[in-house]
Amino acid sequence: MGQGRILIIDDDPDITEAMTVVLAHKGYEIDSAADSSEGMERLKANRPDLIILDVMMRTSQEGFELSRKLKTSAEYKEIPILMLTAVKDKTGLDFKATAGDDAWLPVEEFLDKPVKPDVLLEKVASLIPKS
Amino acid sequence: MENLLKSTSLVQRAYWLVRLRWVAIGMLAIATFVADRFMSIELASSALLTLAALLLVYNFVLYDLLRYWTWGDKEPSERRIGWVLTFQISADLVILTAIVHFSGGIENPFSFFFVFHMILVSVLRSKWQSYLQATSAVILFGGVVTLEGLGVLPHYDLVGFAAHGLYAKPIFVFGFLFVFTVTLYLVVYMTTSISEQLRVQQDGYARANALLEEKDQLKNQYVLRLTHDIKGHLAAIQSCLEIVINGMVGPLTDKQTDMVDRAHRRTVKCMAFITALLKLTRMKLTGQLEMERFSLKNCVFNALAAVQTGARNKSIEVTHAIDSSVDEIPGEAVLIEETLTNLLFNAVKYTPEGGKVSMTVAEEGAFICVTIVDTGIGIPDEALPHVFEEFYRATNARATERDGTGLGLAFAKQVVERHGGQIQVQKNPEIGTTFTFTLPKTLAASLA
Repeated sequence: MGQGRILIIDDDPDITEAMTVVLAHKGYEIDSAADSSEGMERLKANRPDLIILDVMMRTSQEGFELSRKLKTSAEYKEIPILMLTAVKDKTGLDFKATAGDDAWLPVEEFLDKPVKPDVLLEKVASLIPKS
Repeated sequence: MENLLKSTSLVQRAYWLVRLRWVAIGMLAIATFVADRFMSIELASSALLTLAALLLVYNFVLYDLLRYWTWGDKEPSERRIGWVLTFQISADLVILTAIVHFSGGIENPFSFFFVFHMILVSVLRSKWQSYLQATSAVILFGGVVTLEGLGVLPHYDLVGFAAHGLYAKPIFVFGFLFVFTVTLYLVVYMTTSISEQLRVQQDGYARANALLEEKDQLKNQYVLRLTHDIKGHLAAIQSCLEIVINGMVGPLTDKQTDMVDRAHRRTVKCMAFITALLKLTRMKLTGQLEMERFSLKNCVFNALAAVQTGARNKSIEVTHAIDSSVDEIPGEAVLIEETLTNLLFNAVKYTPEGGKVSMTVAEEGAFICVTIVDTGIGIPDEALPHVFEEFYRATNARATERDGTGLGLAFAKQVVERHGGQIQVQKNPEIGTTFTFTLPKTLAASLA
């Protein structure tokens, strides 16, 4: 039996593949999507234990918007989100962890790209609830 | 800076004065004729017509001198052209005084025309020169009417126009000259004050502009340095990856090959971006291009050949029409060929399978006009004004090609403009986009 199921939503196929290799190597089951709408489809089809989400996809805040949508939906708000970003400085987004704030970033964790494999594994392990 | 206008615009003004003088000569001849024949005003017609003839000759000489000094791309020194203007205005004052003298002196309202000269000199020349000209006008006109009043110079009556004998009444002459003098000095005072203000403002703009250019150059040098350093690292990474991919350090599993391949492809893309940025920045930092005559036709064929495979793979029909008269033009062949290739590549890249790309090269006056039309995805209206900006990429372009540099069109614009041409983009009425750019046929046209 696997360690858990992870959905990676990122429009960069190379990053997705690299993370898939790292995580699959540790026994995680990986699903992936290239944008928000595909992500929602995969989410419905195959409920994951963790979502790894890229901030800047087609628009610079696509991931940001998706995370708010998920965290405000009764069905998906329990799924932890690990946000990936390479653009924190460029977009000037000021992430806050408190709900209700305009800059509220409703995710459990976020990591700057590039993510080192051991750091990724460590974060993922801490976020997926042990059954 | 002493003058309000720069040397080139001073030259334009000098020509402008010459043109105005043609009109004045015509008016003088016509006025003399009409007054003489139809208005029964008695005039010293022969003297006036002689003056018109003199003015005509002097204007021809001036015109030729100006043409000689500005022949080809020559730009006469600010000093020289300034003195030409001063000379013109001085000579005009003398001739105007003579005209007024032969047509009634103080009784002729044409003495108001002195004001025009005061405005001209105040705008075109320095303050002290303006006051000097006002003083000479007062001395010339005042001297002539005074001498007429005293009977030293003959007075030409404007019979049928002004009351006889007015010119000899001291109180009238004195009063008239007083107002005349005050008017001229006041006009000079007011006009020079305003010009001076404009001059200060203009200097301010010029300084601000120079500062901006300096900053821009600094930025470019910084980018050049930075990209150059990054390129070094990238090149090393790329070489190492290529060694691994080529199996030179032992065989790889399929998965290993796949991962290294991905890394390599991304490095290549990054390298393309860095190289484009380097090229663009170098171009911005270099001074004059090395303009040598080259065959535009060859460049066009090379560019067409470069996109052939890509077009065939997408079943895109690439057609071309080149005017047979299109021949060698001055410029840097490498840059022009790259620009042509860039534009054609874009056309093919953003045109769906089975589409069409057509290129025409035609002569248009002093320019060669290159047009590239595609039946591609088009550029959204809001993106059209920005496509030549660095790093700008339209949303639909981004969706089609994720890793474009956003620098290709900025580079094309730099190249075309540095050659003295212009580049434009247009949306086709039905589908696709049209890029048009011009290149001067001769070096002279490229500098104009």
